[in-house]
Amino acid sequence: MSVDQAVFDGVLLEAAKEVFETMIFMDIENASEPEQTIDELTLLGSITFTGTLEGCLSIFCGLPAAKAIATNMLGIDATDDISEEDICDAIGEVANMVMGSIKSRVQHGIEKLAVSIPSVVTGRQLESNLCDGENKITVTVNIEDEYTAQFSLLYRESEK
Amino acid sequence: MAKSLMIVDDSATMRKIIMRTVRMSGLEFSRTEEAGNGNEALEKLNAEPVEIMLCDINMPEMSGSELVKKVRELPSCDDTKIVMVSTESSQEIIDDLLANGANGYITKPFTPEKFQEKLAPFMN
Repeated sequence: MSVDQAVFDGVLLEAAKEVFETMIFMDIENASEPEQTIDELTLLGSITFTGTLEGCLSIFCGLPAAKAIATNMLGIDATDDISEEDICDAIGEVANMVMGSIKSRVQHGIEKLAVSIPSVVTGRQLESNLCDGENKITVTVNIEDEYTAQFSLLYRESEK
Repeated sequence: MAKSLMIVDDSATMRKIIMRTVRMSGLEFSRTEEAGNGNEALEKLNAEPVEIMLCDINMPEMSGSELVKKVRELPSCDDTKIVMVSTESSQEIIDDLLANGANGYITKPFTPEKFQEKLAPFMN
């Protein structure tokens, strides 16, 4: 079975917008810029999927953006203390919910898709290479005109 | 009379978000509990059952569907209403959960209105 890349076109941005609007209460817009390298301390939240397709969805952003996302998700003041664990947990949940939203949007075109539990790592100049060389969709977004984040969807047809 | 509520999710952040969204929905509970995994939930339910349980599906150690089956084996939880809260949107999986003892389903991302709609029938 050939999975048309058009299935995913637009879906990644739509899914991210839905999650940010309904769960994080922040506006995001397509930055319409090429892929960027974020040099500051970065968080990379990823979630893998298997089934008719296999691959990985990831979000990566700098620590200030991750903190803003986490405080908004939790409904606490931006100046309040928040632990690194809570920030990582929040970014993992963003990856989880965006993947869930994508899945609900494409499930009629894809037979089976099982999603893993999200994981988050921190570091500098992080990138996800799982499935690299196959299909990759990247969307850079501006969050509230203040922060930048990148979503990547890497996937390939399962060999099983 | 207000009901008791338990939120079961391996993400502490998600438990806080669910609790906040439940409050925003206007629903009031007499007692709220949290559990980070299925075993902790069963321990707390054995000590004191709740009337409504909100439960994630994709959790390490014990999945939400396994937890539903185990809760349904507890005589003290015969009347507990279980509503799954998950990103999982496959109709096959939802139907299976409902057939195995879950009473409702809320998909993430969610809104306070969705909690009001799905939980209000269990509040009387």
